Amino acid sequence: MLEVLHSLLFSTLDAAPALVFAALGAMLSERAGVVSVGVEGMMRTGAFCAAVAALVMPTPLAVLVGMGAGAGIAAVHGFLSIRWRSDQVVSGMALNLVAMAGGTFLLESLYGPNGTPAITQLSRWNLPGLSHVPLLGALSGHAAPTYLALTLPFLFHLLLSRTPLGLRLRAVGDKPHAVATLGLSVPALRWGAVLGGGLMAGLGGAVLSTAVLDRFEQHTPAGLGFMALAAMVFGRWTPLGAFAAALFFAFGNALRIGLASSAPWLLDLVPQGFLLALPYLLTLLVLALQGQRGHAPAALGTPYEQESR
Amino acid sequence: MGERTRQVLPSVLSVLLALAVCWLTIALTRDADTATRAYLQMLWGGVGNWPAFLDGGSSTAVLRPLGEAAMKAALLTLTGLSVAVAFKVGLFNIGAQGQMIWGALAAALVGAHVSLPGVLHVPLALLAAAVAGAAWASIAGVLKLKRGVHEVISTIMLNWVAVSLVDNWLVIGPLRAVAEGASSITGTAEILPTAQLPRLLGDSSRLNLGFPLALAAALGVWVWLSRTRSGYETRAVGLTPEAARAAGVPTLWRAGGAMALAGALAGLAGAVLVLGTEGRYPGSLGAPYGFDGIAIALIGNNHPLGAALAAAVFGVLRAGGTRMQLLGVHKSFPELIQGFALLFVAGRMVWLALLDRRQKRAQAQGQSQAPQAGVEVPRA
Repeated sequence: MLEVLHSLLFSTLDAAPALVFAALGAMLSERAGVVSVGVEGMMRTGAFCAAVAALVMPTPLAVLVGMGAGAGIAAVHGFLSIRWRSDQVVSGMALNLVAMAGGTFLLESLYGPNGTPAITQLSRWNLPGLSHVPLLGALSGHAAPTYLALTLPFLFHLLLSRTPLGLRLRAVGDKPHAVATLGLSVPALRWGAVLGGGLMAGLGGAVLSTAVLDRFEQHTPAGLGFMALAAMVFGRWTPLGAFAAALFFAFGNALRIGLASSAPWLLDLVPQGFLLALPYLLTLLVLALQGQRGHAPAALGTPYEQESR
Repeated sequence: MGERTRQVLPSVLSVLLALAVCWLTIALTRDADTATRAYLQMLWGGVGNWPAFLDGGSSTAVLRPLGEAAMKAALLTLTGLSVAVAFKVGLFNIGAQGQMIWGALAAALVGAHVSLPGVLHVPLALLAAAVAGAAWASIAGVLKLKRGVHEVISTIMLNWVAVSLVDNWLVIGPLRAVAEGASSITGTAEILPTAQLPRLLGDSSRLNLGFPLALAAALGVWVWLSRTRSGYETRAVGLTPEAARAAGVPTLWRAGGAMALAGALAGLAGAVLVLGTEGRYPGSLGAPYGFDGIAIALIGNNHPLGAALAAAVFGVLRAGGTRMQLLGVHKSFPELIQGFALLFVAGRMVWLALLDRRQKRAQAQGQSQAPQAGVEVPRA
C-alpha cells in the first residue's frame, strides 16, 4: 500500500511541473487582463524548440531556448492584442493553430514523423537523506523543474500579493484606467505579464520534451495547455490555487496509470475509460458544488483604450 | 468604406495573405514551381479537375473532388456554427468536439439498432444526434448559469470526459461491434442502409445530403438570429447582458438556449460524419473537428453565413490539400493556411487601420484643406 502511494506521489511530482508552469504563465497574463488561450501553442513551441536546441547544446540551456520560444509566440499575441487591441481569444486560438500545424510541418520535414532524435534528459537529483524516508522519499529523484515547480507558485504568490509590482499587475487586469491615472503605462505592464506568461508556458513545454520525455513528438503537449487553463480557472486565477489544481490534475493522471498497473483487478470492476474520465468528472463535480462566480479579473479580455471609460 | 465591407474584407484578405505566406513557405523550402503546382493540385483536388474534364475526361474528375470538399465543408460549417452561436451569446464553446462525439455516437446507435424506413430513419438519427449534443452542451450551460462555472473550463473538461467515456470505454467495450469471422472491427456496428445519408450524385461522388443540411442549418441560424425576437434577444444578451436583463430579456433562458443550440449543431456534425461517410462510430473521430470549428467561426466573423463561407473555402483546401502529397508537399499545409488566416483575422485592426489610412490619404488628396468640425485628437 505504502509502495503504491509512494509511486503515485512520485509520478505526480514528475508530471506536474509542465502543468504548474503553464498554469502560472496563463495566470500571469490573465491577471493583467490578457486572455491566454494560446498557452497550448506556446507550450508546443517551447517543447519543440527545446528539443531541437538540446540536440546541439546542453539540455539546461535548451530549456532556456524553449522558454524564449514561448515568449516569442507570446510576443505575437502581445503585438496583436496589446498594440493592435485585437480580440484576444482569436489571437490566442490562431497561435494554437499555427503552432500545431507549423510544428507538425517542421517536425516532419526536419526529422520525420516519429519525432526528434533522442536527447539527453535533464539530470535527476537524488536528495541525500530523503530517498529512504517513506513517502517523503518520493520527493527525491526528480529533475530540477520539479523542485522549481514546488517553489515558484509561492514566489508568485508573494509577488502578486506583497509587492508594488504585483499590485499594479492585478490592478491592470481589474481597472486599467485607474492604473493609467497613476501615470503608469498599461501597455508596458501588460507586455511584461504576457511575455512573462510566454516564458512560463515555454518552460512548461520544454519540461515535457526534456524531462518527462527525451524528445519532441507529434502529440506533445496534447491538450496540456488547455488543462493548464482549466487549472488556472479552477484555481480562481491565484498562484496557489492554480498550483493546487495542477497538482490535482497530475495526481488524477498518475492515479489512473498507477491503478492500471498496480491493481489490474480494478480494471475488471471499473472500465479504464471511466478511470480516464475520473479527474475531469471530479473537477466538474467540485466546481458544481462550490460554484464559481466573479473570480476572473474584471477587465479580462477587454483591450485597453485610453479614451474609453 | 461601408460597414459590411469592413466586416468582410479583413477575413477575405486574411485568407489570401495566408495562402500567399504558405505558398512562399513551400517556394522557399522547395522551389516556386513546386509551390505553384502544389497549389494547383490543391485547387483541382478541391473543386475538381476542370481542365482534364473539359479535355474530355470523365465527370468523376470533377464530381469526386467536389464531393470530398462538400463533405469537409459540411462538418466545418456545423462545428463553426456551433461555436459561432455560443459566441453570439458571449460564451466560448471549446466543447464542440465533445458534443460532436456524443452526436456521432447517438447517430451511430440509432442508425444501427433501430429499424425504420429511410424517410424516417435518417431524420430520427439526426434528431438523436442533435439531442445528444444539446444535452452534453447543456451540462456546461447549466453549470455556467446556475453555479457560475466558467464555460471554458467546463467544456474542456467535458471534452476529455467524452473522449474517455466514448473512445476509451463504450466504443471498445459494451458498444463494440461483434466481430464477424476473423476480422475484428474497431467502433460500433455498421449503420443500416436506411440510415445512410442519401448520396446526391450517385456513386461517382461522396457528396451526400450532409452538405445541403449544413447550408440549411446556416441559413436557419442566420434567420433566427437576425429575424426573430428570440434571436435578437440572444444577441442582445451577448452584447450587453445587463442592458438585456434590464430590458426584460430572460437572459438565463437565452444563454442556455444558445448553448443547447450550439451543442445540437455540433451533434449534427457528428451525425453527418457517421451517417454520411464513416457508416459507424469509428474508433475515434480522427480529427479535432471541434477545434476547427473555432477557427471557422472566427474567420467567418461569427456570422452564420460567414462561417458557412469560410467552411466552404477551407473544405476545398482541406479536401484538395491531401493531393499536395503527390508532389511531396506536406499534408498539414491546409491546416497551416487555416491557422495563418485566423492569425491575420486576429490582426483585423491592423488591416482596418491600413485601409483607413489609405482612404484618408485619398481623401486628403481630393479635398486638401477641408475645415474640421469639432475637436478631434490627431492620430499618429
